[in-house]
Amino acid sequence: MNETDFERQKILKARAAALAREPEKSGAEGERIEIIEFLLADERYAIESVYIGEVYPLKNFTPLPCTPAFVLGVINMRGKILSVVDLRIFFDLPNRGISDLNKIIILHDGGMEFGILADAIIAARWISRSSLLLSLPTLTEIRAEYLMGVTKERLVVLDGGKILSGKGIVVHEEV
Amino acid sequence: MIDKDAEFLKKLLVTFKIEADEHLKGMYSGLFELEKGVAPERQVELVENIFREAHSLKGAARAVNQVEIESLCQVLESVFSSVKKYALPTSPGLFDLLQEALDLLTRILPDAGSERAQDDKALQRQLIGRLEEAGKGRIGETEKRGNGAEEQMEEVSPIHRFSDSPIQEVFTLPPLSDSPVQKVSSVSDTVRVSTSRLTSLLLQSEEMLSAKLASSQRVLDMRTAGATFGDWKKEWARVEPLVQELRVSAPQSDVREAGHEPADSKRSLVRLLDFLDWNSTVIKALEARFTVEVKSAERDGRALGSMVNNLLDDMKKVLMFPFSSLLEILPKIVRDLSRENGKKIDLTISGDEIEIDRRILEEMKDPLLHLVRNSIDHGIESLAVRKAKGKPQRGSITVSVFPRDDKVELVIADDGCGIPLDGIRSALVESRALSGEAVDELDNPELLNYVFQSGITTSPIITEISGRGLGLAIVREKVEKLGGTVGVETATDVGTTFRIVLPLTVATFRGILVRLGERLFVLPAMYVARVLRVKPEDVKNVENRETITLDGEPVAMTRLASVLKLPETNAGAGAVALLPMVLLAASGTRIAFKVDEILGELEVLLKGLGCQLSRVRNVAGATVLGNGQIAPILNVTDLLKSTVKMAAFSSLRSRDPATVSADRPRSVLVVEDSITTRTLLKNILESSGYAVVTAVDGVDGFTRLKSGMFDIVVSDVDMPRMNGFELTAKIRADREYGDLPVVLVTALASKEDRERGIDAGANAYIVKSSFDQSNLLGVMKKLI
Repeated sequence: MNETDFERQKILKARAAALAREPEKSGAEGERIEIIEFLLADERYAIESVYIGEVYPLKNFTPLPCTPAFVLGVINMRGKILSVVDLRIFFDLPNRGISDLNKIIILHDGGMEFGILADAIIAARWISRSSLLLSLPTLTEIRAEYLMGVTKERLVVLDGGKILSGKGIVVHEEV
Repeated sequence: MIDKDAEFLKKLLVTFKIEADEHLKGMYSGLFELEKGVAPERQVELVENIFREAHSLKGAARAVNQVEIESLCQVLESVFSSVKKYALPTSPGLFDLLQEALDLLTRILPDAGSERAQDDKALQRQLIGRLEEAGKGRIGETEKRGNGAEEQMEEVSPIHRFSDSPIQEVFTLPPLSDSPVQKVSSVSDTVRVSTSRLTSLLLQSEEMLSAKLASSQRVLDMRTAGATFGDWKKEWARVEPLVQELRVSAPQSDVREAGHEPADSKRSLVRLLDFLDWNSTVIKALEARFTVEVKSAERDGRALGSMVNNLLDDMKKVLMFPFSSLLEILPKIVRDLSRENGKKIDLTISGDEIEIDRRILEEMKDPLLHLVRNSIDHGIESLAVRKAKGKPQRGSITVSVFPRDDKVELVIADDGCGIPLDGIRSALVESRALSGEAVDELDNPELLNYVFQSGITTSPIITEISGRGLGLAIVREKVEKLGGTVGVETATDVGTTFRIVLPLTVATFRGILVRLGERLFVLPAMYVARVLRVKPEDVKNVENRETITLDGEPVAMTRLASVLKLPETNAGAGAVALLPMVLLAASGTRIAFKVDEILGELEVLLKGLGCQLSRVRNVAGATVLGNGQIAPILNVTDLLKSTVKMAAFSSLRSRDPATVSADRPRSVLVVEDSITTRTLLKNILESSGYAVVTAVDGVDGFTRLKSGMFDIVVSDVDMPRMNGFELTAKIRADREYGDLPVVLVTALASKEDRERGIDAGANAYIVKSSFDQSNLLGVMKKLI
């Protein structure tokens, strides 16, 4: 039992205590949605978890020629080929240096499926839909059509459904 | 309870609709054949079949409470019963009426189980009434009054009335009972399985192909690993005499010379020598074992390979469908369309028992319909014109299927007026695709090839059915996407024939694996006419375009990288003796594409790029290679089109700028665990003229450093196994590389981190959040 072991125990206990806590009860606020919060180029964003299939570590990818810049390439996900989109480029966000982008969040709904790049996954939590404020255009550079709203903590919640069904996202180009 | 019952009824209805659809198809095809006119024995058989289908459908409808369908079938059944007993002569009027009844059934069937529109109900009552009348022998008298045009169509009765038949041999047949319960067809060894399930099974079986490829890749990897034993043996052979020498000079370990001081060191030496001997025994045993394991892995791989091949073959056979499932829609379409156009057309179908992958049939539906519509609309002339030309009044369309080795040929021919070549000429000039002189130079087959180009139509009036000039382009695109080819022959007033050659299955095909820089691409082998190696001096400029000479003929040449808009890599420029090229050919165009390397031929399974990438220019899909890596499969038709387009805009490019830097490019080692950042840094540095090698973490980086010559290291800080600080310290401690410049690029922006980096010995510290490529390049320029 050295010090690091002790430290480790302490951390684990603290985590257990955090997990054991009952979720905040605020049923009166109406519909609650689960969101996944992630980091993208030093900014925190969230997406409703119903649109998220899984989170996948990006180990390798194959770039494709003749695709728009927002398409990073394709990955082999258990034998299935899946395209990966860089939302920073898709949303035309200003370039803020470089970041890790070594996680893929797989977005899906009935028909559409693709991965988006992220730096890190921060948390999954429940929020009440009514607590979302309609975003002020000054809060973020992302176009309003892809936004679901902003939480009180100024966390930008993206509209997964709109991103999946957005017209610009599908690549269909003839020579 | 009620819910359950409703649920059950719903399920029954689904099954009923499938069954009913089959009965309807049976009735349709029987009717078409009857109407066309066949031998008396066949007539009896057909009438009997149709009667049975109607009866079965009636029974099935009753079982699921579909009273309306049941009542309609009831009258159909009694009409056929009369025909069967030769009590009712067949006539065009009767066929029309029966068709109408079947059309109504087809229309109301999908909505079975829900409330029907009032119009449909009225139409049904009226139809039942007319059918009942017809059953009594009064065919269509009610409608004839209002539809005089019909009478003209009846001048030829295509079917002999039974009563007209001079030899009444039919009566020798056993009398048919009124209740057709005994089913003729044997259905005992078939089961109904939904195609979606079968398709999913096929996809899973196809997935097994990657297991097969992976297993052969594993064997290759093991062999490479096994080569290490050879190196070891060589080394050991060199050292072994030394070991023996030492052993001779050293006394045996069991001889004890107690009390003497040197004995201890000698004992150690002996122990070391013993250990070395033991080591070599172990390694030799290990090698023997490894060799055996590789052999069994190879054997297993082969067994797996043949199992997978058999499974795939059988799975594909399961999904093979006869062409008839596609062609059975034609009689109705030809009948309806020729009616609308006031033309008389006989449709002949042959070879429809030949089987082909169901997915190909599905894809071929639209092209086939388009070609047939074209034939009816533009090909077959109107009655008057045909008469004037001295042609038989009834036009003919034949659709035939022929087996061609491992392919199938689908031929759609008509005996109409042919495609007017002058029409194509003027359409070409009109659309400004070609100049008048250029058009005049084309010979007929070349000219005819243009009908497959979008925007070319020879039809003077745009009709409802066809004539928008897009159809044939789509036909060609679809056929080529399936890996097939399409051709056309035509002769004025003799007719037009379209020949479509299709592969039997879509699943796997042979591909040529090529390399461009570090990227791999697959070219479908069916479009690769030839693989070439051309001397650089044999590339000639003709009219400012690069060409090579092949069999005495000039062939256009381009670089695959520039068509794909990839940076041109000049790996080993100057040293290359021969330029590897792939000659691609499709739809009459041949162009040679220069690549960096041709790696070989392989079996590939085409996979889609996912639904977000619905269509990508020049890329048809992708395949997973044996090592799990993805290689894009290129779309050859697109590549040829892109090349032609590029040539139109730009003539020969200016000479490669890469040759400007005469001396050796500076080489950089990029150490970064995130693949995206690694790729980004690599791209930035390569486009600035550096030679880049990448590593995924500190340990990997240090190993690579030892195996190459580098001028500078660019490293991330936060990495698994060995971080950037540790790597920097390790480099600084190394005798050989101690002076190598190190640039740390990191997300850690605090002052302490920066100090830690400087302490470790880094020459520069760049924070990722404020990263800017000119900054990095500037820093690097200062350091080397």
